[in-house]
Amino acid sequence: MNTFFTIVAGFLLVNIAAGLVRVYLGPTPADRMLSAQLFGTTGVAILLLLSQALSTPALVDAALVLGLLAAVAVVAFVMRVPQSEREADEE
Amino acid sequence: MSFAGLVLDGLLALSLPVLAWRALSARDLYRAVILFITFGVILALAWARLGAPDIALAEAAIGAGITGALLLNTVGGLSRKNDKDDERPDEPTDRVGRPWRTRLAVTVPVTILAGGLAWAVLSFPAPVVDMPSLVGEAVAEGEVSHPVTAVLLDYRSYDTFLEIGVLLLAALCVWSLGLSAVRSTAPEAVSGSPVLAGFVRLLAPAMVVSGVYLLWAGTSQPGGAFQAGAVLGALGVVMVLTGLLVPSLGRGGVVRAGLALGFAVFLLVGVVSMLATGGFLAYPEGFEYGLILAIEFFLTFSIALTLTALFTTVPPREKGGGA
Repeated sequence: MNTFFTIVAGFLLVNIAAGLVRVYLGPTPADRMLSAQLFGTTGVAILLLLSQALSTPALVDAALVLGLLAAVAVVAFVMRVPQSEREADEE
Repeated sequence: MSFAGLVLDGLLALSLPVLAWRALSARDLYRAVILFITFGVILALAWARLGAPDIALAEAAIGAGITGALLLNTVGGLSRKNDKDDERPDEPTDRVGRPWRTRLAVTVPVTILAGGLAWAVLSFPAPVVDMPSLVGEAVAEGEVSHPVTAVLLDYRSYDTFLEIGVLLLAALCVWSLGLSAVRSTAPEAVSGSPVLAGFVRLLAPAMVVSGVYLLWAGTSQPGGAFQAGAVLGALGVVMVLTGLLVPSLGRGGVVRAGLALGFAVFLLVGVVSMLATGGFLAYPEGFEYGLILAIEFFLTFSIALTLTALFTTVPPREKGGGA
């Protein structure tokens, strides 16, 4: 079962790598921000899987904190970056 | 180590340097910040794989959460509108032509330093004292059962004490830069946007409960003042960003006292314990648990307030770039 959890965690890590393509291509800052949010969610899932695979219950707390705080960045993005720049295609 | 674990570790080890390099060489500041947040997430996963849940927790809170928001706050404050026509200031440095003397003057010392560091790491003598087992024995006698908390606030409390001083200094430095107060791009955003208002309403109680939980958990499992302070500070940050807290969080005496409270309580405990036992921060027998918990409580408060205070100022937007 632990091997299964580790395989799924690795699969999710490959998903993050795939999401990096969107960070690279953009084209708008909003696209990049959304992929960062996706990484936060995926990171929570990987931490939960690892807490089972490594039998480290404390990693559930790390997942909880990551889940709560990953959302702060998107609030900062929405509130601090002007609308025009958020949607601007900067290339 | 199973094959699957090996593949996972390989992926983590491969992605970290690539992400760090991409974040440093990104042409666009937003992209650099996004890559930095991603780097924080992957680094937290790497610490989790290395069996260091304490550091994974701290990295998830500070690296992936707070710092990303702080950088976005700063990037949002730096207007790029005015330099669209001029030379882009965020060109990657590796595209800027530099004379060979400059390159040499940077390359040679850096290579020597890196070589020295590599040599120092490779030539480490075998540890004379087995620290982990010593800590393990001491923790078994002490009242704080989590080794990391015991080291941070009991055996090496002097280090932690100075770290809190550094945090206080950081807040003072940011204040003395004379930056303008934070102004969100949409002042009535919370009343005008039901999604944001509902989001803050859902997030706030969860953050308060998690913060207090992490503080309490710190004595027996990964957690503690820094992580709890980061979560509660993130709540303050959200409230500052959405305009709920700015009118009440100025630079008045109460806020100043709150910033200094953690450091002051730590110092007070240190001096009193010095009078009682003769050693600075040598807690008297039987009072360790209560004193450590009291220090952690006030530290959490001050750390949260410091992080919030860092968000109340932003770099000035260039003329015409205002919201």
